[in-house]
Amino acid sequence: MDLDWYVIWDYRADLLRGLSLTLWISLVGIIGATLVGVAVGCMRTSGGFIAQRLTGLYINVLRNIPMVVKLFFAHFIIGIDALPAGLLVLVLHQSAYVADVTAAGLRSVPHGQTEAALASGLGRLQIFLSVLLPQALRVMIPPMTTQYTQTIKNSSVVMLIALEDLTFMTQRIEHATFRGIEAASTVTLIYLAIVLCVAAAMSGLQRFVERRSS
Amino acid sequence: MTQTALEMRPSPDATLAVKERYWRIALFGTIMLAVWMAQDLRWSVVWESAPFLLKGLGVSWLLALTSIALGALAAVPLALLRVYGPPGLRHLSVLVIEVVRATPELMVIFWIFFAFPPLIGQALSNWTAAVAALSVIAAAHLAEVVRGGLYSVSDEQWDAGRAAGLGVSQIFGYIVLPQALRNMAPALVAQFVSLFKTTSLVYVVGVIDFFRSVSIVNNTAYAPYALYVTMAVGYFLCCWLLTWIVRRFDPEYLLVE
Repeated sequence: MDLDWYVIWDYRADLLRGLSLTLWISLVGIIGATLVGVAVGCMRTSGGFIAQRLTGLYINVLRNIPMVVKLFFAHFIIGIDALPAGLLVLVLHQSAYVADVTAAGLRSVPHGQTEAALASGLGRLQIFLSVLLPQALRVMIPPMTTQYTQTIKNSSVVMLIALEDLTFMTQRIEHATFRGIEAASTVTLIYLAIVLCVAAAMSGLQRFVERRSS
Repeated sequence: MTQTALEMRPSPDATLAVKERYWRIALFGTIMLAVWMAQDLRWSVVWESAPFLLKGLGVSWLLALTSIALGALAAVPLALLRVYGPPGLRHLSVLVIEVVRATPELMVIFWIFFAFPPLIGQALSNWTAAVAALSVIAAAHLAEVVRGGLYSVSDEQWDAGRAAGLGVSQIFGYIVLPQALRNMAPALVAQFVSLFKTTSLVYVVGVIDFFRSVSIVNNTAYAPYALYVTMAVGYFLCCWLLTWIVRRFDPEYLLVE
């Protein structure tokens, strides 16, 4: 089997364009999913009865339907443009998982902490921000890293509605030159590098939070 | 007097049960309302193509079941190597697991599709390519589940086994593995649910699964809303039922895929 790596150099402009789209979608996905997911997760544990049930419904419905189904529905049936549809669906899909992680993290803080904070006269918001959240954060960071990795991986699904991301470029190179293996190895390595960067950043965050809280 | 008043007040659990009942009624009512409002959709298309759609759903289930079985077969040696293996093999298994886990599912599918024809000299059939890709994905994720299961059994169990005069394979087979399997069960189901959802991507190699069969029907008889609602409900029920069964047996366990 002979490999021709010059193909990668020839297609460097396409690959870089794909990389920038993947990075952009992943970044919006991670930030959006964190904002929506943490809000939903907080309501899931700390809200009233109706809020808890509605957020439970939100999480279950979004988690149990494959992302590509939601993506095709948003793009081909409702008719949202490809890029907004991809971003919207990625944020919705991942936010359900982030909400689960947040809820689990908040539940991991013993109830005595809330009672002690109430007894010392803190308000609900204060308890939440300065007692519950810092403690929950320590437990949440490792599963959150998994979710961010998932977000980056799932951002590749948007190529199915013809957005030209990194994964799309493997197809383009394969169709044009039949150099699928070279393209796939390069793209896989790039994904690996992105995931490793996110993992390193998250473990840095973990160390920072541990140091602050100890 | 105050005592009786306090006793007459319903306990928090009782109010929760009442709220729960009202919630269920409201949810059921909303679903019924949605069904009533959705009666104008072209359900006849769904009804007429039901055998084809069900066949697609069957293909999805078969894909998921086959690949999780094959994946589990590969996952056990991978996990054992990662936990107990000698340095070189251990690092190799870590590399394989982490690379596959960091690669998007679509890329794994393309890999199988691109890399195998040059290696074995002929193109893989659609079905083989799909099963191979899903099995590779399942193997890497299940290896981590198995590793978690092995770590969940404390080292004292090994010491106790050794003290009772058992050999390594006996300790592993009779003491560690049964406990690890029990602890792994929920994560295993979570992986299966995840894999079942991933089967919706294999249409890119031409397998007609549930997702693809819905698209095919929609291309000939245009009824997008009815078909997509059916598909969403189909996927939801399959995944949610599995999750629900695990919760039923192990309410403490939180399923996070």
